Amino acid sequence: MINTTLTKKILNTLLKTGGSFSEVFAQKKEVNNIRLEDGKIENSSSGFELGCGLRLIYKDSTFYAYVDSLQQDIILNAAQILSAAVNETSKIKVLNLSNTYSSYIASIKKHPSDIIAENKKEILLSVDSFARNYSHYIIQVSSNLSDLEEEIYIANSEGIMCHDSNTKVMLSVSVVAQEKKEIRTGYKSLARTSGYEVFGIEKPSVVSGEAARIAVTMLKAVNAPSGSQQVVIGPAFGGVIFHEACGHGLEADAILKDASVFKDKIGKKIANNMVTAIDDPSMPYHWGSYAFDGEGFPSQENILIKEGILQNYIFDYKTAKKMNEKQTGNGRRQSYRDIPIPRMSNTYLAQGKEDPASILKSVKKGIYAKEFSGGQVDPAIGDFVFGISEGYMIEEGVVTKPIKGATLIGNGPEILNKITAIGSNLDFAPGFCGKGGQAASNEVGQPTILVSEITVGGTEI
Amino acid sequence: MEDIVKRKNGKSLVNFCKDASLKIKKLEVDEFEIYGASSTNNELELFNGQIDNLTFAETKGLGIRIFKDKRVGYSYTSILDEYNIDKCIDRAFSNSKITFQEEFNYLPLESEFKNSKGIIDKKILFSEDFFNFDIKQKIQLAKKLEILAKKKDKRVTGINNLIYDDSLDEVMILNSTGFFDSYRTTSAFIYLSVISKEKDDTSTGSFFGYDRSPGEFNLEEIAANAVNRSVSILGGKKIKSQVVDIILDPFIAAQFLGIIASIVTADTVQKGKSLLKDRIGDKIFKGDFDVIDDGTLSYGLASKPFDGEGVPKGKTVIFENGILKTYLYNTYTARKDKKFSTGNAVRASYKSTPEVGVSNFYLKPSKTSLEKIIKSVDKGFYVIDIIGLHSGTNPISGQISVGAKGVWIDKGSFSKPVKEVTIATDLLSFCKSIDKIGNDLRFMPSGGYMGSPSMLVKDIAISGK
Repeated sequence: MINTTLTKKILNTLLKTGGSFSEVFAQKKEVNNIRLEDGKIENSSSGFELGCGLRLIYKDSTFYAYVDSLQQDIILNAAQILSAAVNETSKIKVLNLSNTYSSYIASIKKHPSDIIAENKKEILLSVDSFARNYSHYIIQVSSNLSDLEEEIYIANSEGIMCHDSNTKVMLSVSVVAQEKKEIRTGYKSLARTSGYEVFGIEKPSVVSGEAARIAVTMLKAVNAPSGSQQVVIGPAFGGVIFHEACGHGLEADAILKDASVFKDKIGKKIANNMVTAIDDPSMPYHWGSYAFDGEGFPSQENILIKEGILQNYIFDYKTAKKMNEKQTGNGRRQSYRDIPIPRMSNTYLAQGKEDPASILKSVKKGIYAKEFSGGQVDPAIGDFVFGISEGYMIEEGVVTKPIKGATLIGNGPEILNKITAIGSNLDFAPGFCGKGGQAASNEVGQPTILVSEITVGGTEI
Repeated sequence: MEDIVKRKNGKSLVNFCKDASLKIKKLEVDEFEIYGASSTNNELELFNGQIDNLTFAETKGLGIRIFKDKRVGYSYTSILDEYNIDKCIDRAFSNSKITFQEEFNYLPLESEFKNSKGIIDKKILFSEDFFNFDIKQKIQLAKKLEILAKKKDKRVTGINNLIYDDSLDEVMILNSTGFFDSYRTTSAFIYLSVISKEKDDTSTGSFFGYDRSPGEFNLEEIAANAVNRSVSILGGKKIKSQVVDIILDPFIAAQFLGIIASIVTADTVQKGKSLLKDRIGDKIFKGDFDVIDDGTLSYGLASKPFDGEGVPKGKTVIFENGILKTYLYNTYTARKDKKFSTGNAVRASYKSTPEVGVSNFYLKPSKTSLEKIIKSVDKGFYVIDIIGLHSGTNPISGQISVGAKGVWIDKGSFSKPVKEVTIATDLLSFCKSIDKIGNDLRFMPSGGYMGSPSMLVKDIAISGK
């Protein structure tokens, strides 16, 4: 996207009057989004973007500029302006740029650009009819089919130079069911870092059917209980508990600002012995996966917690340098318009040994939280929440009445010590995580787990 | 450091829009609309008195809607050259071919406007003072805020976040009915989150400033509020689950009002996703409250001369004396209900099509002070901050369950701090339970410019121990 000679010129221009690090990130992206609602294709949109971001680090400060162009004069002009931010006598010159490689392999079989619009329309129409046929209580189906193809080029003054490309597809389905005055919803999505071949393996009708099932089940929901409960948290999207309770607190920027409850805890026991947690962007086709992070560092598995002991934080270039640690390939950015920041990718609690059915049977009185609507955390104090979108009472070890949506609230370090059983059914679910004004595609995962005590925000006191 | 130097340009946004329209006219389309936006943007993050990150940029983009045979297609591009604008136009056209053919798909006509043109003076949208601040002064301003905050209370141990973000924007719409208009806006935003500690406990609190120019920020107030919100929760504990009256500060109340805002837009009503469907004329609030959407407020940061499809903005009274009077419309939804557009077509950016949304949306305040309201409460929970609003509310089913922290009220006075609890209810019960509102109307950016006074809400379930 930018030849080696021009790249060197840009990187050196940035460092002209000082600084310790310079970088150019170029991106070309095409997105398509089709929306179905009310039984018809309401909206079909596409977008084209091309540009690059220039970064200069001077001591602890990052200076950044971006332009919607790959034209030489425009980029060099922006580089001049950035370099004027610094005035220093010692200057670095760019090391030799050499191609960086990643071991990540994911082959795309059906590129979005090869799929004709009519076929995309068919996927959505089948989602609609499948959901509506599920039950006469279904009053609305909304579905989005979106895809993305991008090319990325990253080079920096320390010699990294990489070319990368990404293809992502996502199908999301929201279903509304109504019985008399009760209106309830169900949501499911299928999202992969792959092409349209995923819809051959995982049928859109399964996604649609799940969303419909949840909406109809919730019509019979009773008020959720209030206060401390034993909670069994289901697999896949249940992993949001770890993402909020711990994950954000392990991102090194929070550690460096002294705004994380996990500061100075490496090597210490922060969770029950059975808890092992991993962040891994190198798993092919997972929604949060990539070959290179937003700084050109190859993706790799990062074991965060091993048998209850904190092993590592989540780093980008700047935080790794500051803390004298190795980069972990978590310097992610939403686009060329953003600076990279430490972010999770695919974050999950490792497989345990318990039979998930026995975990449920072991609870005399509690809640089974099966599907979730997301969560939020304040890493500085560790208090986090996440919302149940499909949940049930557990009475004498049996899953009984569905309960209306409720938020679970807890404190990270406390909750990690209250995970008392981990199942053998590890699964993953896709989502988006927002941090610093940037949206990132993330996956969370876990098997079924038992939390001995957590506050449930129901209305039934 | 020098301010961003104006690039020797380069086409202006007007010229890109005009050239694109000439290209589209050569195709066999029925109607078209070009939405152009440009932005000059500075973002600064400070940590410990030093620059952590400093970003600046100048961007432009076009969003093109093509109408053919009563179908609509859309495409946007930030790559503004001949080849890519052609590509964008072609894609918008081909996108229209798979969308639904509907009689309501056409550009706005003047006969459909509820509001008359020219209500707003475009000068209220930007501040000349904005241009008096260079990057050095912005950095100084942010540093000053940090110093103010750290001095306020010795329990303040650090800054969690200090972000400054400003924008000079231009928006332009050119369409095939002959509409061609534009406006410029300036906006500046500053956000401070502080960390305080006492014994073993840590607490965070935040506040913000949002104005047309950084010169309008009240740094003293921002620092004091962020610090107060943090230190008032120090030593906070969970309490036992119970049903109790809650008082929401204006910014928390505004966030709840935002949930109501999402179900008064005609698209959610027409699609069966609003609890207010078929309820025009019903009393939804127990109190005689007025809720207004006004796209022309002189101090409203969501004010615009025209909406996301070129229809003049105006003032709409949605709830009057607690009764639902109307929904909010864009032209498409208005046609379905045989109504006029209220000028509520909203686009998040040039990358989106015009949907229905709010502008300056607020609950009209009373004449009662917050002090008086607090004194009237025998036992209650004053909510200072909520967490998980997005994951904890379902505007379609009406379920609300969010994390909360604040201060307990005992016999009309503040007593102990409380944290790690949730407040839960459903939206319609919430509306019926708002017992008193204050005189302290405050606004915040929250999907539009959302405003509310303090609220006393009766009998809400708090979950703790």
